[in-house]
Amino acid sequence: MKKATYIILIALLLLLFVADVALGSVYISFTELWDVFLGAPDATNAYIITQLRLPRAVMAVLTGAGLAIAGMLMQTLFRNPLAGPFVLGISSGAGLGVAISIMGGSLLGFSFVSGFGLIASSIAGSLAVFLLIILISLRIKDTMGLLIIGLMVGSLSSAVVGILQYFSPSEQLRRYVFWGLGSLGNLTWSEITLIGILVIISLAGLLLIIKPLNALLLGETYARSLGINITQTRWIIISITCILAGSITAFAGPIAFIGLAVPHIARLLMSSMDHKKLIPLVIIIGAALLLACDLVAQLPFSNYSLPINAVTSLVGAPLVIWLIVKKRTLRF
Amino acid sequence: MKRLVFLSFLCLSLIFGSCKTDNPAAPASAIVVTDTLEVKYATGFDIQKTENGYRLTINNPWPSSTDTLQLDLNRDATIGDVQIPVQKFIATSTTHIPPLVLLDEADKLIGFPDTDYISSSVMRERINAGHVEDLGANETVNLERTISLEPDLVMGYGIDADNPTYQSMMDAGIPVLYNGDWTEAHPLGRAEWIKVFGILFDKEKEAFEIFKQIETDYLAAKASVEELDKPTVIAGATWKDIWYLPYGNSWQGTLINDAGGDYIYKDTNGSGSLSYNIEKVLKDAQQADYWIAPSQYTSYNQMLADNSSYKLFEAFQNKVLYTFALRKGATGGVVYYEEASMRPDLVLKDLISIFHGQASTGKLYFFDPLEE
Repeated sequence: MKKATYIILIALLLLLFVADVALGSVYISFTELWDVFLGAPDATNAYIITQLRLPRAVMAVLTGAGLAIAGMLMQTLFRNPLAGPFVLGISSGAGLGVAISIMGGSLLGFSFVSGFGLIASSIAGSLAVFLLIILISLRIKDTMGLLIIGLMVGSLSSAVVGILQYFSPSEQLRRYVFWGLGSLGNLTWSEITLIGILVIISLAGLLLIIKPLNALLLGETYARSLGINITQTRWIIISITCILAGSITAFAGPIAFIGLAVPHIARLLMSSMDHKKLIPLVIIIGAALLLACDLVAQLPFSNYSLPINAVTSLVGAPLVIWLIVKKRTLRF
Repeated sequence: MKRLVFLSFLCLSLIFGSCKTDNPAAPASAIVVTDTLEVKYATGFDIQKTENGYRLTINNPWPSSTDTLQLDLNRDATIGDVQIPVQKFIATSTTHIPPLVLLDEADKLIGFPDTDYISSSVMRERINAGHVEDLGANETVNLERTISLEPDLVMGYGIDADNPTYQSMMDAGIPVLYNGDWTEAHPLGRAEWIKVFGILFDKEKEAFEIFKQIETDYLAAKASVEELDKPTVIAGATWKDIWYLPYGNSWQGTLINDAGGDYIYKDTNGSGSLSYNIEKVLKDAQQADYWIAPSQYTSYNQMLADNSSYKLFEAFQNKVLYTFALRKGATGGVVYYEEASMRPDLVLKDLISIFHGQASTGKLYFFDPLEE
């Protein structure tokens, strides 16, 4: 992987960021955009740029990078190309929490859920699954067991969600469906700061486990023979993944596909499997891809926009297919 | 042995299968149409008078359907599909309740899915006294319970052509009438469905008089504001960064216009609801004078907690938001959802009071100012 490729990718990331801020439903020219930061701006334009588009673009960067890293960690831990950030059941737990707060309202005696209520219940759901997974990981020796447990948690939660949906009026059903479609918008700067801190802490935690991650690729027995503490490594990987996936899902809903696809794209682009090189690439591509998806989802210059979850798959799936066909093999 | 099992199945199916055919209806051709009743605003139904009853045609049983459904109502039980006046009636939407109350036929309702949604005090008394059977949660009607009640007629409504529950009821010999009031775009068109209820209970004259009164009141209220200034109006609220609003040609859009309001998106046409990016609404509607029906919100603080962009709107700063979500029945049903379809005159008068500065007199029927 040459340095030039990195520079091109970083330039692309910056370009996409600027484009995501500059383009939207309302046309704001570059001179007006300039005014917003360095001149005397129109109040509405300034609000649209600084309170609507800029937070959304920053959220796209954090979400793209965070989910891509979480996906990479899960693929490495399970040595499974199909693993993604939600494979442990984090999004199922969050979805169950949100479903109970939106649709269980009539049973529990409240009828309206605020945005903050949704975030709190999503965090509660993710946290419950996280604690369950940690407790189970203490008991079982086989890492693959966790994969099955994640699937079971997903199954359990979708059953409960199904029952709740069956008894819910259409208005509440709609809110839950909308939550599931994901959204990077409507976040305040303080919420963005909180997610930013969590993502940065998680990424810093990665520095502790770069060597063990590389060893894990060769198998747990081999890693153990290299003197790697498998239990401790597993703990750190699970914690980082849960913090990333849980906090992002709480604020943006279950954003699909990015976490699964980006690590593959990164591995296809570079020749080495070394996590020291893979991690920065995954972060850059994750952020750039989600920015690009958000740009498409905003349908610039039209009055409408698309749900982000639909766009990530629409853009991401053909990209992965194309890369695999071009390289003729999935590097894993 | 196998043959025995087969034979007993055959016998059973003959016994049960024969249930369906014990009430043969007279062929439609035998019924002579004598007159057509006036339908002025509604497009969803037509009524023809026959010798001893009515022929009801439902033009749009569900949106974009190509079928029309016909029901022959007759005072003679041996003729037609339904004997009138209907004695045992099952309704499936709260909008079916006000016509029963207006026609003084509340005692004919014997079943309803999830009776908690009903707010009408007359009907609630009957529910509390155990006269109305609860048929299941939300829109799902329990088939077995419905059939066991032996209703004369079930009034349903269809979202699309796929209605297996109603089909099963018809297979069981229970007549089903698809009510399409909610697809009517004209406010008076929805109210005009009371005429359908009128002929069901053989109260044609009363139903026509009630509708005439609603129409007269509506048109008089509309005329009273035609000369006044038109304040600009915005509606709806956001989910994340998408703003959901009624189309200009919708039921709500027409009411805002008739109330002398200048709806920001009055020139939009479509069915369902508009979903604009918040950026567009921010550009178009910040200066709007009034803001009605902000989704499910009932207080300014709730709104701000969900989306801080709301504070940029002048209507929000001036605290001139009005919601219908605060008026609820004893068991939590929203009164507006139940009664507004049938009483466009009351909705219109509320909106006129709001848009033309008389809201403070406290005479609103459906709406309230948002709480702090």
